[in-house]
Amino acid sequence: MRGFALILFLGCGLAHAQSSPEALALLNKIHQATQRLSYSGTFIYQQGTRTEVSRIARMADASGAIEKLETLDGVPREVVRTREGVRCYLPASQTVKIERAAAHREFPAILPDQLNELPQYYVATRGEAARIAGFDCVSVMLTPRDNLRYGYVLWADANTGMLLRARTVNDKGETIEQFTFTQLQIGPVARDKVRSKHASRNWRVEDAAAAPANLSEAGWTVNADLPGFRKIDEIRRKLRESQLVGQVVYSDGLAAVSVFIEPLADRREIMRTGMSNLGAIHIYTREVANHLVTVVGETPAASVRRIADRVEFKRPQ
Amino acid sequence: MKQKISEWMDGELAGPDAERMLSALREEGETRQAWRTYHLIGDALRDTQLLSPRFGERMAASLAQEPTVLAPSATPGLRSWRRYVMPAATAAAAAGFVGAVAFMMPLQEPGVAPQLAQTAPPRPTPAAVVTEPAAAPVPLPVATDDYLLAHQGYSPRNRLQGVAPYVRTVSGQALESKR
Repeated sequence: MRGFALILFLGCGLAHAQSSPEALALLNKIHQATQRLSYSGTFIYQQGTRTEVSRIARMADASGAIEKLETLDGVPREVVRTREGVRCYLPASQTVKIERAAAHREFPAILPDQLNELPQYYVATRGEAARIAGFDCVSVMLTPRDNLRYGYVLWADANTGMLLRARTVNDKGETIEQFTFTQLQIGPVARDKVRSKHASRNWRVEDAAAAPANLSEAGWTVNADLPGFRKIDEIRRKLRESQLVGQVVYSDGLAAVSVFIEPLADRREIMRTGMSNLGAIHIYTREVANHLVTVVGETPAASVRRIADRVEFKRPQ
Repeated sequence: MKQKISEWMDGELAGPDAERMLSALREEGETRQAWRTYHLIGDALRDTQLLSPRFGERMAASLAQEPTVLAPSATPGLRSWRRYVMPAATAAAAAGFVGAVAFMMPLQEPGVAPQLAQTAPPRPTPAAVVTEPAAAPVPLPVATDDYLLAHQGYSPRNRLQGVAPYVRTVSGQALESKR
């Protein structure tokens, strides 16, 4: 706790605005509720003009938790996450995509110390209360201290800390993405609610087969060079059925940015390099030394661009 | 032509293209009308304070009435306030113009217009400011869903929202329409 107070103090030195201890405590409560609770419900995901309804369930017991997400609008899709990893079921192509957890790769990524560093890069304050899906909610606003990251407003059940609404806002205060529960039941969940209905099908499997890697040995220089963003993983993995792709991930504790590096050699489709956008996510693509560099980040375009522009290749001697 | 106007406003047009644009803009016509509209859109997007009606005309008229001083002033004592204020005003006006051009956002196809908001030049803040000009968005990569799935596991949002952020994918229709 003393370390936490010290970080708070250092954080205040960077800007005048100050995080309130109540707001940080609420953030911590949401964090703990997410790891602890069992629940099932329906939520709306909004991004631009797009609105999608999904069902979500989480069953937590002594052996760990199983979570399931099922989209109800648009293309059907199920995502099931266990301690072993994440499986994404795609009925349209009869494919299962697997991201396995490993000793160095936990799902969800747990970075408890980074939550304490947040006040250095965000000002956490209490927001307005609201009633969402029948729950009386309190809120916390996370306002970035620079323009390298987005702001967030989170509403959580005052009782349990369960997150009911998460809003991502840009530097103009405009909402660019929002998750909102329309119906939620907190409490024990039956096992079949978290099992995929496609689990026993004999579909094509695409396994990411991720393994730790050192891309600098291959000649790559990847550097976040963004205050607060730390490298959290560096792997080689499969993407679709391609050959191995390098992936380096950076995070500031609230947002993450991935850098993908893959050989261009056998890519047949036309590559459009440049910036593209999907709600709170920016994707920047460029070509470096006959490789495709793709940076995917939950950050403003400028941050994604900056990381992408710093990727360099030098043939190892 | 509309693409060219947009490039012109971004200061990206040079050589014969720029000359053609200038002569097109000199005459009242479709090009000039589009140029005006684009500036109006830019002003609206930036929430620019509007000047009073016919400001341009009145400014031109008062400038025309200003005597043109061709001879250097005889003594320092004759220097009027205007000699100090006007260059400053000119500089301010020039800076304003440069600012307007610098902040002019590129025009997009209607389908991607809402994305302008995030690619606009960020507001200046004391910490690390990134001021690259906003680039024109390109369609999402074909493999976007695969990148997102590979990335999502690392998102700290999972710690606050469980598996919900995995909903971030390109829906089939969205990708189809952007191809």
